[in-house]
Amino acid sequence: MILRVADDVTATLKRRLATDLLSTRRMEPDLLWAAVSPSRVRDATAAMKELGSRYLVTVGIDERPLGCGYGIVHLFSLDAAHLFVAIDCPVSADDPRIDSITPLIPGAAWAEQEFHDMIGVEPEGHPDPRRLVLPDDWPEGVHPLRRDVAYNYRPPSVEGVAPALTPPPKGTSVIPVGPFFPVLEEPARFRLFVEGETVVGCDYRGFYNHRGIEKLGDSVLTWDRLPFLAERICGICGFIHSTCYCQAVENAAGIVVPRRAAYIRTVMLELERIHSHLLWLGIAGHILGFDTVLMQTWRIREPVMWLTEAISGNRKTYGMNMVGGVRRDIAASQMPEILEVVAQVAKEARAVREAIVDDDTLHARTKGVGPLSTWWAKEMCVVGPPARASNVPIDARLDHPYAAYDDLPPKRISQEGCDTWARVLVRLDELEDSIRLVREALANMPDGAVRAEVGEVPAGRVGVSAVEAPRGEAIHFVMTGGSNRPYRWRVRAPTFPNLQAVPAMIKGQSIADVPISIGSLDPCFSCTERMETVDIRSGRHRVYSKEELIEMARLARAARNTGGGSTR
Amino acid sequence: MNGAFLRMVAVALLNVLVVLLLSPLYEGVLRKLKAALHSRMGPPVLQPFTDTLKLLGKEDLRTVGSRAYAVTPALALASVLLLGTLVPMGAAPPLGFAADIIGIVYVAGMAAVFLILTAFASGSPYAAVGGSREMMALLSVEPVVAVTLVVGAMKAGTLSVGGIAAWNATHGPTISMSLAGFALFLAVQAQAGKLPFDIPEADQEIMGGPLIEQSGPRLALFRWALWARQFVFAMLLVELFVPWPHTGALAADLALALLKTLVVLVLVAVVDVVNPRLKVEQAMGYYLRVAFSTLAALAFAVVGM
Repeated sequence: MILRVADDVTATLKRRLATDLLSTRRMEPDLLWAAVSPSRVRDATAAMKELGSRYLVTVGIDERPLGCGYGIVHLFSLDAAHLFVAIDCPVSADDPRIDSITPLIPGAAWAEQEFHDMIGVEPEGHPDPRRLVLPDDWPEGVHPLRRDVAYNYRPPSVEGVAPALTPPPKGTSVIPVGPFFPVLEEPARFRLFVEGETVVGCDYRGFYNHRGIEKLGDSVLTWDRLPFLAERICGICGFIHSTCYCQAVENAAGIVVPRRAAYIRTVMLELERIHSHLLWLGIAGHILGFDTVLMQTWRIREPVMWLTEAISGNRKTYGMNMVGGVRRDIAASQMPEILEVVAQVAKEARAVREAIVDDDTLHARTKGVGPLSTWWAKEMCVVGPPARASNVPIDARLDHPYAAYDDLPPKRISQEGCDTWARVLVRLDELEDSIRLVREALANMPDGAVRAEVGEVPAGRVGVSAVEAPRGEAIHFVMTGGSNRPYRWRVRAPTFPNLQAVPAMIKGQSIADVPISIGSLDPCFSCTERMETVDIRSGRHRVYSKEELIEMARLARAARNTGGGSTR
Repeated sequence: MNGAFLRMVAVALLNVLVVLLLSPLYEGVLRKLKAALHSRMGPPVLQPFTDTLKLLGKEDLRTVGSRAYAVTPALALASVLLLGTLVPMGAAPPLGFAADIIGIVYVAGMAAVFLILTAFASGSPYAAVGGSREMMALLSVEPVVAVTLVVGAMKAGTLSVGGIAAWNATHGPTISMSLAGFALFLAVQAQAGKLPFDIPEADQEIMGGPLIEQSGPRLALFRWALWARQFVFAMLLVELFVPWPHTGALAADLALALLKTLVVLVLVAVVDVVNPRLKVEQAMGYYLRVAFSTLAALAFAVVGM
């Protein structure tokens, strides 16, 4: 199947690009690598779109030390064939520009802004040329993921730099959601342009808390250490990232993981989904003011955390994954406890489901809220429960089977509601299915070793891995290097594509619907910002710098102390 | 004459003290109850008092300089205390001569008006949204309150609140008064700012709305006013529409009224626990339907049932 489809893709690209298809290479187990002349990137993209593929992410690679220029690699997935396709465009180091594919695939917008920031290749014809990842005071021309920028490079901080903000449309006022907002657990900033209570548009700024994890991965840490760094990408679904990283390396190096390790990974992944979905359900309830749901779901969730602590030693951030398998076995003596906790969770989760599924007030707050049409979900390359709730039934566990999911296929869940309520239903169904998967994985777990011997990882290989996180599909891309670490490691968390769909989801909604619309994506993000004021009458807006704010505060205090102020 | 005057002053003081001291206590009890339904421990019952004391001791920080802005929290609390003297609590309302049911509707809305003025003056976009929501809530709940009071007035043949309470206590339950009482109970949910109607504050959407710029003593007074408002409304409900049994002894009647008030607020808290927040237009639609349904009570009152 894979072979035949890979041949089809090669033939189509060949027909379309002729000599501009520079080379193709099949890489085990499930990757087709096609080098394409950069001038024809849009044709290649259009061809991939016609083949029914789904855009995943773009990887920018600085290949100058290897004697080339910059590699811009667009990754696609042919879900039915379980095949990844990489369209590699070698961009010249002297003229680092490439046509943007965002006009063809709107969901590629952030990935292209990101390689512009990090590698310094300009996507020509991109609809939003602003910075995405780099801070506003970062010097021009320094691109952190280029190989000649040190991992610990710290530019001097510059004052008086304003972020490039989209001005609000005439007649609207700005309601800031964030940088710190009660129901967003992490800093993020949406500026809502509102007329009365109706949102007519929004502007997003984020990525200010970028931690430079990819840079550490290809310049400081080694193969063995990276699973632990990968696990720290996310505080909720860390095991997903460590699994995804390990699998990418295993794919690249051709390492076969023992079956028992694959089953243990499956158990941990599904336990993580169970507690993550319960956590989300609680937060969604909290956003709607329904704190009873929050308190009860988190009470139900807690035994799962104790269980993972009993298995791994930690409630979260288990530290169990290694390239080649896992570090800890699940002892036979632990089985009864696991089954008992899972049975308890199953019972209580069913009670929660019954309590909320017919709640009229809940329907009034979630049905038709945060709408995301099937067409736009596909265009924006949305993944995970938000995609499945918009009738795009993609699931990495089925589309690119990993761990033990080939033996234990999950149910393909989808809803046609395209709204927040559909997202609730999808997650409730998944919760039930995850409980089933844990039980089946435990019942069928084979004996044997939990870790394969791992020798030297050969240089110049590529591995791609997809893992279905509770929030959607995570993608890790690893290009191996010679110095006991990846040459390039690219992580795409599921929120990366999903968050790009927010502007469409909240347009025309009321302010009251915005928190739950964003929350329905179960987002994970980071950012911080300066203060902004808008004069509603003139629509003029200005951004205060840190100095101005400090100065204003000092003046106010001085005025008060001399008795001229308004207080006391 | 002199004795009656002294008694009036004494009862008025009693009413004010009851509202001031018991409303935070009731709030504390409700929080405990809510916590129990959440499977939580909950804060100590006296937490509202300690919070208030702490806030009153803090620096008075204001975003706006005007004199009027400075006094709105005190005025909000004062208006609710005034309402407390216009509502029967065991005895007939001490200042009942000063305002009939029409006056009561006005006084009842004053706290909300001061909150709205503060919100619009405080210069925060969240407060502005919260203020306009508070206004919409006020506009949709007031008709319900007004219609229920008119039903009482028609039955008792008087516009005086004390008169309606006395009439109901002696005549026993009627269909129209029961319907009106139920409608007022639904209105108390919004007047108490409880879910599904805590829309103006909506922490998760607009971070406390009108109160976002309030801190220290100002926040303490506003909170106190809101606790007092839910207390007085529940009291008005039980005294007007469920005044039985009426013993005639002030202490016994007051104790009964306080107990019934607690029952009403417990019911309000239970509704709060099992509901998510509605949107403001959904809440307005709901109260519009309640108001129209209350007209049925009026119809029953007209035919003497």
